[in-house]
Amino acid sequence: MSVLRPLDKLPGLNTATVLLVGADDALLQRLADSMLKTDCASELRVHLARSLPLPSNVNRPRVDLLVFVINLHSKYSLQSVEKSLHHVDASFFLGKACFLATGAGRENLCSVHRNTIVRLARTYRSPVLFCDLEVEGSRAAMAQRLARMLQISAGHVPGVSAMSLLSLLRSSESPSLEDL
Amino acid sequence: MHAVMMPQKTGKNYQAQNRPSQGSSSYQTNLSACEVKQKPSDSKENNPMQDDEHADDQDGDVLQIAMEYFEKDPIRSLRSKDKILEKHLITVENVAWKNGLAPETIDILLNVALSGRFGNAVNTRILKCLIPATLISEDSVVKAVSWLCVGKCSGSTKVLFYRWLIAMFDFIDHKEQINLLYGFFFASLQDDVLCPYVCHLLYLLTKKENVKPFRVRKLLDLQAKMGMQPHLQALLSVYKFFVPTLISVSLPVRKKIYFKNSENLWKTALLAVRQRNQGLCPEPRKLMLGPANIRPLKRKWNSHSIIPVLNSSSHTTECGKKEMNLSEYLSSSGSLPLEQLQRFPQLLENIHCLELPSQMGSVLNNSLLLHYINCIRDESVLLRLYHWLSQTLQEECVWYKVNNYENGKEFASFLDTIIRAESFLHEGFYSCEAFLYKSLPLWDGFCCRSQVLQLVSWIPFNNFSEMKPLLFDHLAHLFFTSTIYFKCSIIESLKELLQNWLLWLSKDIHVKPVTDSPLDTSLCESMNSVFKLVHYVGWLSTIGMRLESNSTFLMHFILDFFETACDIYLIYNLPLVVLFPRAIFYSALFTLDASILNQLCYIMHRYHKNLTAAKKNELIQKAKSKLSFSSKTYKEFNCCLTTMVGCLWTSKPFKKGIRFSPETLEKLGVEEHKRSLNLVYHSSLLGYAVSFLLQETPEEKTINLSSIQGKKWNLYLDYLFSEELQGLKLFIESCIRRSSVS
Repeated sequence: MSVLRPLDKLPGLNTATVLLVGADDALLQRLADSMLKTDCASELRVHLARSLPLPSNVNRPRVDLLVFVINLHSKYSLQSVEKSLHHVDASFFLGKACFLATGAGRENLCSVHRNTIVRLARTYRSPVLFCDLEVEGSRAAMAQRLARMLQISAGHVPGVSAMSLLSLLRSSESPSLEDL
Repeated sequence: MHAVMMPQKTGKNYQAQNRPSQGSSSYQTNLSACEVKQKPSDSKENNPMQDDEHADDQDGDVLQIAMEYFEKDPIRSLRSKDKILEKHLITVENVAWKNGLAPETIDILLNVALSGRFGNAVNTRILKCLIPATLISEDSVVKAVSWLCVGKCSGSTKVLFYRWLIAMFDFIDHKEQINLLYGFFFASLQDDVLCPYVCHLLYLLTKKENVKPFRVRKLLDLQAKMGMQPHLQALLSVYKFFVPTLISVSLPVRKKIYFKNSENLWKTALLAVRQRNQGLCPEPRKLMLGPANIRPLKRKWNSHSIIPVLNSSSHTTECGKKEMNLSEYLSSSGSLPLEQLQRFPQLLENIHCLELPSQMGSVLNNSLLLHYINCIRDESVLLRLYHWLSQTLQEECVWYKVNNYENGKEFASFLDTIIRAESFLHEGFYSCEAFLYKSLPLWDGFCCRSQVLQLVSWIPFNNFSEMKPLLFDHLAHLFFTSTIYFKCSIIESLKELLQNWLLWLSKDIHVKPVTDSPLDTSLCESMNSVFKLVHYVGWLSTIGMRLESNSTFLMHFILDFFETACDIYLIYNLPLVVLFPRAIFYSALFTLDASILNQLCYIMHRYHKNLTAAKKNELIQKAKSKLSFSSKTYKEFNCCLTTMVGCLWTSKPFKKGIRFSPETLEKLGVEEHKRSLNLVYHSSLLGYAVSFLLQETPEEKTINLSSIQGKKWNLYLDYLFSEELQGLKLFIESCIRRSSVS
């Protein structure tokens, strides 16, 4: 039981590993399946975890990208992610972590406001992606985007580092949607 | 998972319901309550016909009895038992939610609800089920408003009535009489509870002639008292829109949605009504100039159900006489029913007496009416259309609802219709812009992709810096994390956006003097916005090329964009030349693909033309021109040009030379590196050189590329030009003096 670090292990040859962390097992499983279906030059490995820290007695590869999946329809999923965040090394937030918020469209079901997630992501200086994982097409599109980000953060795209992608995805202080 | 299903009917049912044969006049004009029974029922499609009719007959009879009960004189009603009342209420509710109520029934019920004969609870129930079958007559609304003056109904009933009026606004057949009550509504602003709803109603109702100085003063007083309330701001913004001189307070520019749609109690019912109204005319009209009655291809009907069908207000009374000819119509009512309008000449003849439909959304499918809206320049019409659009976009947006497949398709085709209307008018709608701002942050980049991107390209011209956090940052977000195809489509739609903006600006400059453009931005500021847009795309493409490892495919789209951007001065006659980023220039110059090089040459040629023309004009009218191009642009262009000529033509690339010692170069086997980028050896043209030599001497076994010199060089050039490399030809003809070389 320890803090998760990004660079404590050597990378595998042409493999990129993503760790999806979220309280909703079924959703994570479906997202993982979609990710494995995407057409990608690197060999993708998808690990799932309900929460952090991970048990330390298992041998696992280096984690290249950490995705925190938050279901906006459940407060518990946010709380569990918030707790997990304590067990992540700060250097992960230099481009190797992102937040994924699902279900923002259906406002009537939301128990967590999307601005909460935006604020959380801003605190950790990490990008936040919105999608609806329960919809097939949206999930596949998101899986593709995640695979793309994973390739970059694993260092498989020449000339682009995880840090540079992070700086590109850093949004300027955008006005909140409520002002519109 | 899919818990929130809309209680709407499936598309299949609709098709059955909306057979053309039923779309006759028989059921759209039933003004009497008893005719409700003639209506085809929506919900029992599967039952045998007889049962169906029987049930409907019963419904109608029971409803009639209920109506008689409600119409009775007040005292007897009061005495009657609650049981009977309850029974009748349930009848009315059932019929209302199933088929809607006829205008007369609504008239009676409104009377009952607002006269205060029953308690609050009953009034609320009645108001909640006042769902029109097709339309609501204006008279009933006027009568209802008169009840408000008597003071017999409670505050909450009043609120509910206003909310009902707002929700049903589109279904009221005329609005002139209601507009005459403007003063009354305005006075109701005093009431703190009613104020937000009255504001919303006035927002819908206001015409230019309603905006008076005393009203503005009153509104400002109210705002001072209550603070910056969104509803007051909305009304003020409408006022400012009509008479900008009267209102000097500044209002938030970006704010485009003032009223929350979630408060609409009748959402699902409205959807049903809209669908019912559509049944009147099963064939959607195509957007075209010619006769509009050409039957479109057999299309799935349900795909158009969001947009109401054209239905003029005067239509309801005269619909029975279908054979009436045009002149009779003109003499009888003074206005031409929109259904009769089918040809352009007809529009021209009747343009003075057209009356727009009460449901503005229906104009989207009618090209003639779009023409009409475009030329009458009546702000209130556009305002109505925009209002309807933003409401509907918000309601129907797929990624705000349970994304079921049918819904998504329907929404996509709705967006298609909007886009068709926009490109027909060559004008973006403000409501679509607001919709994009609101929904793009939540967009997954997948659903309705092509439609959303097309909407992006129709965003009206705006200040770039203001739009950046709302739109372009999110777009960049999607761009960097998505596939190459998505990147290409984003660049493509940004190209179209640039074209639309430039077209709009160039038209604007010629129509109006430079000093007062409608956005109160001087020419300089608009040019700055365009500059920033081009710069933004340059930034995107530089990084995109890096992310996609210099993909040729993406490069084509990027160069397409800059083909538009390089011609701003000459084609659009706007004082701006923005160069492409160096990264793009170099990766296009060192490409492996001849068509990329060709495109680059063409762009350089156009930049050359634009910059020389600009320089010439500057010299001629030095005093007049306000905007002079910075010498930096010229310098940068010259630098690119020398590099290009040095590489391709004179075989002297890179002025400063390469910092390798001759020995190293010899070891690498590239001692003759200087000519390796010229027209013969360039990686993209090598194939041409070889096939040129083979053409000359087909039997030769070894090919000597260095033999292409002097005269042969010119022959080689002609060969290249004959291979469709037009850009290269233009570039060499305009930028290089050939005589000096050969």
